[in-house]
Amino acid sequence: MAEKPQPVKVLYCAVCSLPAEYCEFGPDFEKCKPWLLKNAPELYPDLLKDATGKEADKVSEQLQSVGISSGGGRDGAASTASPGDSSSNKLEEVKRLPGGKVKKKDKQEVVIEKVVRNKRKCITVVKGLELFGIKLSDASKKLGKKFATGASVVKGPTDKEQIDVQGDISLDIVEFLTETWPDVPEAAIYFIEDGKKVPVV
Amino acid sequence: MFKKFSSEDVSAQNQVKASVQRKIRQSIAEEYPGLEPVLDDLLPKKSPLIVAKCQNHLNLVLVNNVPLFFNIRDGPYMPTLRLLHQYPNIMKKLQVDRGAIRFVLAGANIMCPGLTSPGGALDDQVGAETPVVIMAEGKQHALAIGFTKMSAKDIRAINKGIGVDNMHYLNDGLWKMERLD
Ligand SMILES: [Zn+2]
Repeated sequence: MAEKPQPVKVLYCAVCSLPAEYCEFGPDFEKCKPWLLKNAPELYPDLLKDATGKEADKVSEQLQSVGISSGGGRDGAASTASPGDSSSNKLEEVKRLPGGKVKKKDKQEVVIEKVVRNKRKCITVVKGLELFGIKLSDASKKLGKKFATGASVVKGPTDKEQIDVQGDISLDIVEFLTETWPDVPEAAIYFIEDGKKVPVV
Repeated sequence: MFKKFSSEDVSAQNQVKASVQRKIRQSIAEEYPGLEPVLDDLLPKKSPLIVAKCQNHLNLVLVNNVPLFFNIRDGPYMPTLRLLHQYPNIMKKLQVDRGAIRFVLAGANIMCPGLTSPGGALDDQVGAETPVVIMAEGKQHALAIGFTKMSAKDIRAINKGIGVDNMHYLNDGLWKMERLD
């Protein structure tokens, strides 16, 4: 039997998702540049050349370590830098997932929504408990027990897990949540009413 | 073909019968003998093989929700670019010059002159109606998957018009569909 070929690892750009060498033909080369400078400078030697000495310094500084404090004179120089400079810095701060999607930091909040199934049957959907470090399977069991009903952890539309509880428990659930998990403040709980997010308190 | 393509174009997704699974495996193995040693990893016999039927008689072959191959009607299976990037030597290669790259990335079919110019390259063994990978001048990784309209020899001799149909290219809808859930 022939030898197993090892899969080639291709460097994909975290901004536009193309192989890094194709960024120049991608949808927005400018946006890719900060990432490329950091991750694939050898592919675009001109980029390094283009970057002014100071910018190049900054990049290599970032590569080596983050904690080097720069002198006062340097800061003065930085403030006179081109506007493009600051935007590229901003880009660096945004966390990017592979595929170029920006990772949003989830706000810690619990969202409760009553979903009517058939005319009279409904379920109460609870989202966001995991953001408080609560195990969803645990929470679903407790909810089911407390309200003597069926509760289950299901994948929501965005692949995020949520708890579906059968029946309308939206009246009592807030109290139960805050009592069971003191870490969950009432102020972080919201209802969805007529498509609008309404704080409980 | 995948210029505007998204999960909405998938009309049905089905786990195929064992016999169909075997057939798909076999035709992929025949088309891409270079893949044979890793075929068990790619299409594990035990994992269910899903075929997603899409608009325009297009079928996608998925394992664990990842599109690996596609074909049209009963045509030959072609790998997705993400798969081909991992196993670049399983297909015959043609190369376009640098000038053609942006047209290919916009979904254009591959014109003969882009292949016959100094930046291009042809493999004379390639016949007509064959799946090929389209490489690009100065680039290491594949740009597109194509299906030849004429043989490489004819491309050279005729040197006019469309030589290869652009089936799938970087950043098209299939490229963006890393997973189909
Ligand atoms: Zn890029």
